[in-house]
Order: sequence, then structure tokens, then C-alpha cells
Amino acid sequence: MPLASTSALRPARTRFTALHGLAVAADRLAALATALALPVRAADAPEPVLALMDGPAGAGDVEAWERPFAAWIEPDRVGGTGGGSGGATGGVPALPTHLAAPLPVLVERAGASDLYINLTTATANELHLAGRVLTALAERHPLPDDRRNDLELALHEAISNALVHGNLQVDGMKELSAVELERFSHELVARLADPALAHRRVEVAVLLEAGTAVIDVADEGAGFTPTPQDGRGASGRGLDLIATIAESVELCDGGRRIRMRFPL
Amino acid sequence: MDYGVEQRDQEAVVRLRGRLTFNDHAKLRALIGEMAQNKAKRQVLDLSSLEFVDSAGIGMLLIAREEMVNAGKSLVLRTAAGQVKRVLTVAQIGKIVTIED
Repeated sequence: MPLASTSALRPARTRFTALHGLAVAADRLAALATALALPVRAADAPEPVLALMDGPAGAGDVEAWERPFAAWIEPDRVGGTGGGSGGATGGVPALPTHLAAPLPVLVERAGASDLYINLTTATANELHLAGRVLTALAERHPLPDDRRNDLELALHEAISNALVHGNLQVDGMKELSAVELERFSHELVARLADPALAHRRVEVAVLLEAGTAVIDVADEGAGFTPTPQDGRGASGRGLDLIATIAESVELCDGGRRIRMRFPL
Repeated sequence: MDYGVEQRDQEAVVRLRGRLTFNDHAKLRALIGEMAQNKAKRQVLDLSSLEFVDSAGIGMLLIAREEMVNAGKSLVLRTAAGQVKRVLTVAQIGKIVTIED
């Protein structure tokens, strides 16, 4: 089920009119604008606008996730420290993924979605990304509070799985014990402090179709095969919660991508 | 997530505030330590000011409950509302932990 490639072949549906830097240095933004052949956004630029980031700074305000923005990408730093696919970190060689592609390729992918986010693990974790995506989604399709809460939870669970178990390769808390919580806590802190893992990318792509939102969340981890849960441990409820909220859930790309379909 | 602990005669009431997610692992470890050490036999987690909980947050609440049982104490969840109440219901946590309105 190579859905990553089918999404790359989707026709363009979003043509960016301009780009905008969220706390990106002016000279760097100018260079990115030239590379993408897009103007830097003027105050009254029509939507959709592409937001470029350099870490979480500048993306903390709600305005950064409202119109006219429709995509949020954190480009690799020049001479990039973040290779994305992680190499041999932790002794688990990650398969190469498309999430760390050059910026023009990511912008093309963004153009094939209605909303698109491609950030490092460190940035996505800092921003509480699911709530940000819901801000952007609710601007396009108003949602009752209960539905918005449900969608935020499902998206948060998918993004958490991508960050914690995918990119950072931290196992869930299997037993109900403080010792297991301590193990989880230490591993999470240590892996986030490892630049090779913290720079792995998470991608969120939203397609809005008649009465439906299709949301893909992808990571650069080792993938996984879902196993039936016995319901007694401290982990393993995330996918079940997603399945309760979403109309359908597919795992693709060896478990590195989850596709959720939500009625709106 | 933040919390405050109020000691009463027979119980300790812990009020959780904000969002409880996997990122709150360090605070939950500290809180479980506090609850295990205080004198009250009955530990009440007041969830009325909690705005959001995720599956890892629920897992950590279950760990807290297990540790209290091991320490000869009880733990109850109280006054969940909104998204938190909904998640506790969907995940059927009432089968494992006492939930009071």
C-alpha cells in the first residue's frame, strides 16, 4: 500500500500566492523566496500563503494558524544537521522516507493538500501540533465544540504515536507501575535530546472533501504492526480512541503513515 | 498540566489544571510520589479544571491508581467535564477506577 507515492501524484489543489516567515531571519527568507520563485507576503496578500518556520518560535500565536496560511513547513537548515531519516541511531536503521525531501518537493506536496504541515519532531512537540491543525481546519469548516474536541484528540493521538513511538522510538508504558512510567520518562527525555531523532520529521496532510476530512499523519520511524491490546496496560489506547472517533483508519507504509477519515 | 494538593481530614484532594498528555510524565511521577507519602488513605483527583487528556494521560492516571493500591490507599477521579469526561467514558476507565460526579 504505497500511499505516499499516490499522494505525491495527486493534482495540485493549492497554489500559494506568497510565503511568510514565522520568525525566520530576513536573509534566509529572501533566499528561500528566490529558490521557490514565490514573493514574500505583503500585508494584503491573497490566500493561500505558505508559512516557513525555523523552530517553534513565531508559531505560538493562534494567528499563525489562521487564514491566509494553508501550509507550514520547517525547511532543513542550510548544510542541514537534520538528515531526517535518522541513519543508524539507536541501532535501528530507518528506511528512507520522503518526509525530508528538499523544500521545493515539500511545497509541491503541500500544494496537493488543503492543509499541509512538515516539521521536525522537536518543533511539533513544542507546539502541541494537533490543536494548531484544528485551528486551521475549523477556519475552513466550522465544527461544534464536541466534534472539534474529538477530532483534536484523534489527531493528537496520531501525532503523539508518530513522534513518541515512531520518530523517537520510545515504547509505550506496558505495565501499570511507577517504574514503567520512570522508564518512559527517561527514554523520552533522552531521545528528544538526540539531534538525529529530534530532527526526524512528522507530516500532516489534510484533504477536505464533501462532508469529509481525510487526514494523513506520517513519521520517519521504524514502522509497526498493530497487535490486539489486552486493555490492562497503561498504553495502547490511542489507536482505539482514533478508531472510535474516525469513520475509517488505515495504516500504510509499514505503519509509518496513518490515514484517518472523519465526517464533518 | 499543573496541580495543587489540599489535605483534608480523611482525604487529599489533588486538583489537576490544564492539559494532561504524554509530555507530563515528570509531573505525574512527582505527583504519584506525593500522593504515596501523604497521610490520607483516600486520594481524590479533582478533574474539574482539566481541559484535555490523552491516552497516555489516562495511562498515567491508571498507574497512579495502581501505586495507591500498592501503598494501601484508594484513588478516585472526581468531576470530570467536557473532553475529559468524554475520553474517560470512551476508554471505559470507569471499569478500572472509581469515578465520582
